[in-house]
Order: sequence, then structure tokens, then C-alpha cells
Amino acid sequence: MGALGHFLERQGIPTTGISLVREHTEIVRPPRALWVTFELGRPLGIPDDPPFQRRVVKAALDLLERTDSPLIADFPEHVQEPADFSGWACPINLAPSVVDSLTGEIDRLATWYDRAVARQGRTTVGVSGLDMPSAGALVTKALEGVLPSAQRLKEAIDDLRAYYLEAASAFPDAGSAVTRKKWFWEETKLAAAMLALQPKLAASDDQQHKILGNLTLIPATERHRLG
Amino acid sequence: MVKRLSDMPEVEAAHLRRIECPTYDDTPALAGKPLSERRVVLISTAGLHRRGDRPFRPGDGSYRVIPADTAANALVMSHISVNFDRTGFQQDMNVVFPIDRLRELVAEGSVGAMASVHYSFMGAFPPAAAEPHAQHLAGLLKADQVDAALLVPV
Repeated sequence: MGALGHFLERQGIPTTGISLVREHTEIVRPPRALWVTFELGRPLGIPDDPPFQRRVVKAALDLLERTDSPLIADFPEHVQEPADFSGWACPINLAPSVVDSLTGEIDRLATWYDRAVARQGRTTVGVSGLDMPSAGALVTKALEGVLPSAQRLKEAIDDLRAYYLEAASAFPDAGSAVTRKKWFWEETKLAAAMLALQPKLAASDDQQHKILGNLTLIPATERHRLG
Repeated sequence: MVKRLSDMPEVEAAHLRRIECPTYDDTPALAGKPLSERRVVLISTAGLHRRGDRPFRPGDGSYRVIPADTAANALVMSHISVNFDRTGFQQDMNVVFPIDRLRELVAEGSVGAMASVHYSFMGAFPPAAAEPHAQHLAGLLKADQVDAALLVPV
């Protein structure tokens, strides 16, 4: 991120930016950075809180008047960690069983996904161009040994993961984002499939498969689940 | 609340420490007009693009175009990293791409104007891969009368 500040400012475009990782910004030293203490993935801090987000944007833009670069300013507000409702349990049993399949799980979530889309008025699914049963079929085939290209598999899995988490946000007792991610990794057939795919990808002769298996499939925080 | 890497869960901190950051001998800093007279562009590194546009790939230093009137439902994310939260973006695109907030600041007069087109890179790029694209982009921004860029990571 900080590198873009250098590139653009050198070409005549004044820049300011948000910094999520202060240690990185201190090394890259972009022209202007507003350091925030928010969770990675949430640079504006709080979803659906326009006044809060506006304060972050304004604070970053206000740095444009300064030329004592490189500069890092601290945003004075913080976000409390979302509560971890450890008692939360998925209200519909999606735990994999011997008679269950990934296809069945995907199908069962459709009604919840539709409810989430209706409520949000949007979805973030749709990178791969596949419908969800087809994306699931791709994952199943990969598990059976027919590995598609890493890019195709990555796009299908990213779409499926967004589909699952958007669906879970529409459950009657939706919990928090933290509990829904926990549900995803502990209870779904898709997460089990991803964990089972990891060693197959890592052992592939294809360099892109290796990158997917070792870096861009399982988050660092979930790698302890690998066998 | 995360303050420093040392406050993060070790597994996340270790991942972030491994990321190699570029260094620069000096940092340029351009003076400019008051914010209320500037035309601002939003540049994300969240790997955002319109549904149907080319997804990002590992090592991809190019950018995607996001016209200011892009509907919220048309915006998707294909960042290659899995090490950040995506549920915030699923709930509200503005927590990653604050285009509605920028529009509001223009409406209230704090910001002069908004660019007609905004952009997203995918932050996991090697700097050398992005530099030619960023240089080309700077020319397009000048043609769009842009005189400030807000860079938003993910």
C-alpha cells in the first residue's frame, strides 16, 4: 500500500492513506498515513457506521495539508473487539456426517443466502462466474484427485466461502462475525474439504497449486487445524 | 483492539512480520490546495473489481477500474490473501471502499469533488510489478483533474 504513495506522489499526485500495520508503514515511509487500530480487512473500522467511517476518511484527508513527510498520525478512536459468544451454536445442524455431502450442504444454505441477499440488497459472491453447485462440484472433483488450475479453484472456493458466511449472517440467531467464522471452520463440510485439499495442493508439481496450498487457501489463524 | 504486532495473536503477527516491505531513500511530499478545493480519487488495495471483470492473480500489479456510479452489488473482491476479515466487506462495502463517505464529504463541502473513476490494486503485489501501472495511472488521474488520492489498504 505504502509503495503506491511513493509512486503516485513522485508522478505529481498528492497522496494520503490509511495504515493498518504500523510496523510496515514505519519501514515503507509513505508521504502521509493515518494509523488505525482496526482489524485487518476493516480499514474504516465499523461496518454500517457512516459517522465513524466519515471521521476516519476526514482524518486521513486532513493530512494532505501537511508536507512534513513521511508522517504517521494516530487515529484517536478504537473499535472494541466483537464479543465472542462462545455459547452460540449454528441453529441448523450443518455438521458433516457420513451420509452428507458438500453438495447437500451448499443446497441447504441457499435459502439462508437468499435471505441475506434480500436483506443486504447485495452479495459479494461472483468472482468465479460459477453457480454455487458448480463451484462445489469443482471442489469435490479436486478432492477426488482431479485438480483444476489453482486460479479456478481459488476463485470457486473464495465464492463458496463468501456464500457460506453471507448465508450464516441471515440465520435466526446470527451471532457475531467471530462466531460465524468459528462455525465455518469447525462445522462445515466445505472447511473440511479445504483442509483435506491443502496437502494435495502442497504436494502438486504445479507451482501455482503449491502457492494455493501453502499460502492462499487456509488463513494463518486456522492452519493449526491441518493434520 | 490491535495496537502493535506485539498485541496480535502470535500466528497473525508472525505472518505479518514475514511480509517484505520495500524501502525508499526519501519520501516526496507535494503541497496543494485546501481540501475543500481538491478533487479526490479513492484507490483501494483490497483486490476489488466489478463482477465479471478479471479477478486478481498472484503477483498481479495491475489495477481495476471502479466507476463512481458502480452499484454496491456489482463490487466483488478477489484478493489472493486469506489473512484478513471479509465479513465486514460482505456486510458493508464502505468499511473497505468508503465511496459513500467520500460522496457525503463532497456534499457537505469538506471535499471539493470526487473523481469520476476510482481504482483498486491487489495489495499483495511485488512493488516492481505495480510501479509501471501506478505511473500510467498517475497520468490518467491528472487527465481526470484529480489532485489528491486516498489510499485504502485492507
